[in-house]
Amino acid sequence: MKNSADPGRYIRKVKMDGQENISALKNKAKKPVIGYLCCFAPPELISAAGAIPYRISGKAGDDNSAADAYLEPYGCSYVRNIMARAAKGEYKGLDGLVISHSCDMVQRLYGIWTYYHPFPYSYLFNVPHQTTPWARRFFKRELHFFRESLEEFTGCRVSDDRLKEEIYLYNTNRQLVRDIYQIRSDDPDRAKGSEILEILLAGGNLPADSFKKLLNEKKVLFAGRSTARTKKKRILVWGSLIDDPVLFKMIENSGGSVVADDTCIGFRTWENDLPITADPYEGLTDHYFINFLCPRTDRGPGLQKYDYLLERIKKYQVDGVVGYCISFCDPHKFDYPDLRDLLKEKEIPMLLIDDNYSFEPAEAIQTRLQAFLEMI
Amino acid sequence: MSGSEMSRGRRHLETTRKMKDMLPRFFMRMLERRFNNEPLAWCMVGVPPELLKAFDLLFEWPENFGTMCASRLVAPKFIEVANNDGYSSELCSYVTNTMGYCKLFRERGEAPPESPLPGGMGTPSFLLGSGFICEPRWKWFQSVATRFFNVPVYSSDPLAPPWDTDPHDPRIEDHYLTLLREDLAGQIEFLEQQTGKKLDLDLLREILTLSHKALAYWRDTLALRRTVPTPMGSTDYFHAIIPQMYLVGDQEAVDFYREMYEEVRDRVDRGIGIVDEEKHRLIWFGLPPWFNMGIFNYLESLGAVFAYESTYNVGDYFEVDLSDPLEALVRRTWQRAIKMHDYGAEAMPELCNPAVFGGFAGSNLLNELIADYSLNGAVMHLTRSCRAVSFGEVHTKNRLAKQGVPSLIFESDMTDPRLWSDAQIKNRLQAFLETLDRNKGGRLYEE
Repeated sequence: MKNSADPGRYIRKVKMDGQENISALKNKAKKPVIGYLCCFAPPELISAAGAIPYRISGKAGDDNSAADAYLEPYGCSYVRNIMARAAKGEYKGLDGLVISHSCDMVQRLYGIWTYYHPFPYSYLFNVPHQTTPWARRFFKRELHFFRESLEEFTGCRVSDDRLKEEIYLYNTNRQLVRDIYQIRSDDPDRAKGSEILEILLAGGNLPADSFKKLLNEKKVLFAGRSTARTKKKRILVWGSLIDDPVLFKMIENSGGSVVADDTCIGFRTWENDLPITADPYEGLTDHYFINFLCPRTDRGPGLQKYDYLLERIKKYQVDGVVGYCISFCDPHKFDYPDLRDLLKEKEIPMLLIDDNYSFEPAEAIQTRLQAFLEMI
Repeated sequence: MSGSEMSRGRRHLETTRKMKDMLPRFFMRMLERRFNNEPLAWCMVGVPPELLKAFDLLFEWPENFGTMCASRLVAPKFIEVANNDGYSSELCSYVTNTMGYCKLFRERGEAPPESPLPGGMGTPSFLLGSGFICEPRWKWFQSVATRFFNVPVYSSDPLAPPWDTDPHDPRIEDHYLTLLREDLAGQIEFLEQQTGKKLDLDLLREILTLSHKALAYWRDTLALRRTVPTPMGSTDYFHAIIPQMYLVGDQEAVDFYREMYEEVRDRVDRGIGIVDEEKHRLIWFGLPPWFNMGIFNYLESLGAVFAYESTYNVGDYFEVDLSDPLEALVRRTWQRAIKMHDYGAEAMPELCNPAVFGGFAGSNLLNELIADYSLNGAVMHLTRSCRAVSFGEVHTKNRLAKQGVPSLIFESDMTDPRLWSDAQIKNRLQAFLETLDRNKGGRLYEE
């Protein structure tokens, strides 16, 4: 199992060099490319303003020491990884940077990054933590401030009709992702979790219409695959942001199939369409704030906040849950004990992988996954 | 604790030493009321204490309870219980201290015997959280109410504009002030529901008047620390924040801070410092190690004093019109946030703090502080479990370096003494002071 447990092998295979990718996009589209992190500032608005939204990602397992000049060692390893990439100039090709105030660490990243490495355009999209009526109103006003800032930067006015066109396009992509999810659910050998994640990651760095093309191609490919329909344990992955397929591959190599998830670049983004409302900002508020199920938003006390997850587990016939927490990820680490106990009560096995965004030591993680899959 | 490397802080002021009598009296009064089954609120810093007073509420501050558990060296037991329950050791140790305490409390049906307060923290009737500074503070109460006490929760959610947004733009101001006003209204509605009482605005105004009077004395006392030699030390400073939490709005608090001001003023007039020879005047960043406040006395023994602490600082900007007390609370919050914002908030957490203290030093404020307080070095406590306060210290270090002011970052924690490495930390502090001795460019040594 030595080779299959080598995360570096997977990472090198999947990752493209960020800088080249940004340059290629700019040259091709002749549009500004705006990097964004986290899921609260709608990329639909960036597209509608005539720019290309580009999802910022880390390089799992990379040396983070370039971040030491700016950030403390005791902080989210993902954020440190991004800062290290920024410090090495890997994102300097971006025309702009949008970070949503999802968690504390990302909010701090915005300030430090833009202080030391300013962009022609940058925006911190502020997001309340409560879902009160006044928090909702704040979010909607914030959307308009964001739109205005984009308009000022690109010189392109965002009409409601223009925005709705983008929402339709993005919803088409959401439907295509769900179609692929369904193919996977019916037969996980047809579309592996790791393959789907690779596609979603690629989509974060593509204009929406190019992503639509890619999804259509992959949907046809997956639907046409003939498989042996082997019986594998069906796994749901819950937790912090995962922007590298290595964990999914380890699960697959251990005899499991990732059939569902509860992560940012997964179900949280793709499970539901953005509602088309007369005032498009109402739909954006519902989709990107009220209904976006990141634990950084307060859903109140009690376990009913996990009802959606129990339903998903049932719908996708999940045999076990693998939790993934990046070190110092407060929102997920707070939720873990309650979720673990709830799943135990429901007799759904759970394994937690605590990681510093390196997927190392790979052998140890792989062994734990194998033991977990054997157990269930 | 026999054989421990930890030591309690020795205070320099008669006024702060007197707290040892004053606070137990207060806690006994609270305990008596608890026995009468009056509703008890657990609160976060960020909840205006004046509101609690206006509702005549019994209250506990789990964060402050954490500091007491730390200073009595009982926190490790509670933290360990929480860690074993699945709460990561990376999480805020104030939180894990509380979660362990709650678990033991539930198992025993009463406060664990190690609890520092008489009767520990009692069973809460409801929880008042706050999103000020960090998300663990509202996640914390969400978890307490999910896991241990099934009681209602209200968490206020004060957001502040990002560092590169102009808060003086009337549209931006309105955007944020609207949220602050509506959030405060929600908090008051919740308190009215829980207590069955209507908020008495006249009473709130009176409380705010007393509160601000006490804070004005506190602010003026801190300004006296510009004097060389500095008339009070960090052990006094960090202990003197407690009446702001428990007694704010009481005449007792006004008397305490007035007495303290008068004592410090007198020391200034007579040229009395806290050490015989003040070799180094420093600024402190971060939370203190509550389990080892004696570290400040250790530094004093080497001739190093802190004249300014960035944490818990009230600053000098809370004068507001009290005719509309609710608007006064909103304006106080905003005014202080904007002042900090204007000083450079690029490395800051959420700044909007509806409570009375919790300051940070914006990066541009450093220039003023260094000049006004004649500072020649900075010490930063990087607390492993509190990123909210310690994140930004590297940036502050960078800013200080640009001004030729040396600084030291050392690592430990605010609650958990197991993260304290005494010999190593003292060696580093000592070496740092030697560096300062050699740094003739420091302001103290300018000809």
